[in-house]
Amino acid sequence: MGTLVAARAAYVCRTCAQHFHKQLGLRRGYSSSAAQPDIYDVVCVGGGPAGLSLLTALRSNPITSHLRIALVEAQDLAKMKSWKLPRDSFSNRCSSLTPSSAMFLDRIGAWKHMERDRVQEYQEMQVWDGVTGARIEFDWAPGSTSPAGTTIAYMIENLNLTSGLLRRLEELGGVSTFDNARVEKISYGEETEELDLREWPLVHLSGGKQLAARLLVGADGANSPVRTFAGIPARGWDYGRHGVVATLELEGEGWGGANTKIAYQRFLPTGPVALLPLPGNHSTLVWSTTPSNASLLKSLSAEDFVAMVNAAFRLTPTDLEYMHTQGSGQADEYSWRLQHTKFDTWAVPQAVTGVQEGSIASFPLKLRHADTYIGERVALVGDAAHTIHPLAGQGLNQGQGDVQSLANTIEYAVSHGWDIGVAMSLEPYLSERYAANHVLLGVCDKLHKLYSVGSGPLVHLRSAGLSAVNALTPLKAFLMRQAAGNGIKVF
Amino acid sequence: MEVTFRRSAALVAQTGGLRRSIAVSAAAAVNRRHFSLSSLTRPPPNYPGHVPLTTLEKAALAIGSGLMSLRDPRRGDLIAAFAEATATPYFIYRLRDAMLAHPTGRRILRDRPRITSTSLNLPYLRSLPANAVGRTYVAWLDREGVSPDTRAAVRYIDDAECAYVMQRYRECHDFYHALTGLPVYREGEVALKAFEFANTLLPMTGFSVFAAATLKPSERRRFVSIYLPWALRNGLRAKEIINVYWEEQLERDVGELRSELGVEPPPDLRAIRQREREERRRRKEEAERESGRGRAAGL
Repeated sequence: MGTLVAARAAYVCRTCAQHFHKQLGLRRGYSSSAAQPDIYDVVCVGGGPAGLSLLTALRSNPITSHLRIALVEAQDLAKMKSWKLPRDSFSNRCSSLTPSSAMFLDRIGAWKHMERDRVQEYQEMQVWDGVTGARIEFDWAPGSTSPAGTTIAYMIENLNLTSGLLRRLEELGGVSTFDNARVEKISYGEETEELDLREWPLVHLSGGKQLAARLLVGADGANSPVRTFAGIPARGWDYGRHGVVATLELEGEGWGGANTKIAYQRFLPTGPVALLPLPGNHSTLVWSTTPSNASLLKSLSAEDFVAMVNAAFRLTPTDLEYMHTQGSGQADEYSWRLQHTKFDTWAVPQAVTGVQEGSIASFPLKLRHADTYIGERVALVGDAAHTIHPLAGQGLNQGQGDVQSLANTIEYAVSHGWDIGVAMSLEPYLSERYAANHVLLGVCDKLHKLYSVGSGPLVHLRSAGLSAVNALTPLKAFLMRQAAGNGIKVF
Repeated sequence: MEVTFRRSAALVAQTGGLRRSIAVSAAAAVNRRHFSLSSLTRPPPNYPGHVPLTTLEKAALAIGSGLMSLRDPRRGDLIAAFAEATATPYFIYRLRDAMLAHPTGRRILRDRPRITSTSLNLPYLRSLPANAVGRTYVAWLDREGVSPDTRAAVRYIDDAECAYVMQRYRECHDFYHALTGLPVYREGEVALKAFEFANTLLPMTGFSVFAAATLKPSERRRFVSIYLPWALRNGLRAKEIINVYWEEQLERDVGELRSELGVEPPPDLRAIRQREREERRRRKEEAERESGRGRAAGL
């Protein structure tokens, strides 16, 4: 392999040639000077799931493993790596990983570093309209087999994912990490006697350290400084909704037992409420609702909050609206209304019995899409490129899709001797991901808007549509494979 | 009840054609629970007194009772059956949700109070000041010679809570007379029904407005020009009057409650009729005097 890289490097690429020298111990003098910036092939700003997956993918691939890589992260990575929680306690920030995302993590060797007993896969989904009760049941026909099994998605704590990725990255080695480091500013470099860095982004860290990047990757979240530096506008709108999250305890392991877990989502006029399974009798809640409702929910006692969650899956929107005007006493109200409300016990989640202390939190929901993901020596991945409504649980998977595509693009550029930073090398990444992400952002946006309507003909139309899809088994199977990320590629 | 049906069967026998078959099927639907055979196939009642009906039976009951009550508007039992048969789908749920969206409405649904001559202390109400809601109500009862106990129990609405909503509407109807001051005879009743329709949207109340066709021409003109516009405007503008906990409002000033609910009192129907009667009498006397003078002059 070494000879192969060397042979390639010999006639194509200056970077690779540098590495060739480096491998032979022929380091150039400039990197030791304090005034001079450290030069890297890839500087990744942001140590979240997207950034860490990208670096792990690059390091684990023999073709790209020799790239000089730096990671800049504001938080303490050692703390993230040693993240540990008792077995019966779960972080409130969880994500749904599709089998194709999980397969990617497995391919880059990170999957086995996750705490596997804290990851919960689910096989069925129940989605219904809170106004009419029209329902779509994503369950597998008896005896049906799919190449990826019957798993629709894996629920994983974000911290479990990042600590697993960090452990894998440590195992691989070779990444210069700058954690607890704030990015002071990003600018272009200067021309010196030896080097012309005028077109290279220079990342100024809080300690005075400067990193020059052949390719600067922005994995730095929705308010991405890298995107601002590149002058790429992100367009979209705020939903005027907050996502309330919490870790909940249920009366049992779920109606399907420990081996067939079910995810539930009910569309209320204020937004969808979802209960996603975690190991044992735990579940994680994502309730999209108005900011005033969200602040009320956060102010409630544990008993009233639990009643509200149970009510959200059972009572009518009218009852829920009223209960959101009460300062307290929701538990009492719920037990009264439960007697007068008809619902199918088996079609809603098992009753919530408790909420993990301090796990109730909320965050604003918005839609953003950057005009482009690439610039000269700049690429954006994950939330820096797009922010999506959480109703389909696709945010993290979109980021994983970006990372997969960008890693392939870099691999292709390296193996063809191109400069990995120029926009032309990065073009395939943009063309592969932009339309796919845009469609998904649009679909989730329209679903949110369609289900925000509380009454009128549209309600009946959407219910008829949902029931029709539910009845068309082949169409439903197609949608399930698409959701799992292992269907035929449409976009 | 049996007597009523025999009477309606006799009525049906006099009429012919399509109307007969519809009315018969409606009566049969009402009567079915008396047949021992069908009680085997009928689902158990959801609440005491509940008569579960199929959709077809409900439709037949609605048409039959509707037609028969148009023939004879004094048949309160048929109007009640019609109200129940047409309250689903949608309308009674809408009214129930209107109650559930209001704190007092919710309290009423939770307590499920009934209005009867024993639940209300009528002598006490008579002792209240003249402008109190309870006094107005009891004065109205006394003037019209009716009792709170004349209201039939709801039987054909399947959901127990919705059945209570219909019961509550029915029992509060007399309070609506007291609130608006509209009298119980046909003209006032039609005006109140129009008000209730605009306020509750229950189909029966809207249907009852068609009884305006049976009014005398002068009454009909008065209804169209004065009471119908008043009813629609006030019914739509006022708060949902189903959410009034009347049992707690008995000592309140009726004017105060009216303005709180956004109801303006309609012109006093009794006074108008009185005036018109006097006018007519005066004119008649004048005419008589005229003709008397004429006769005298002729002699």
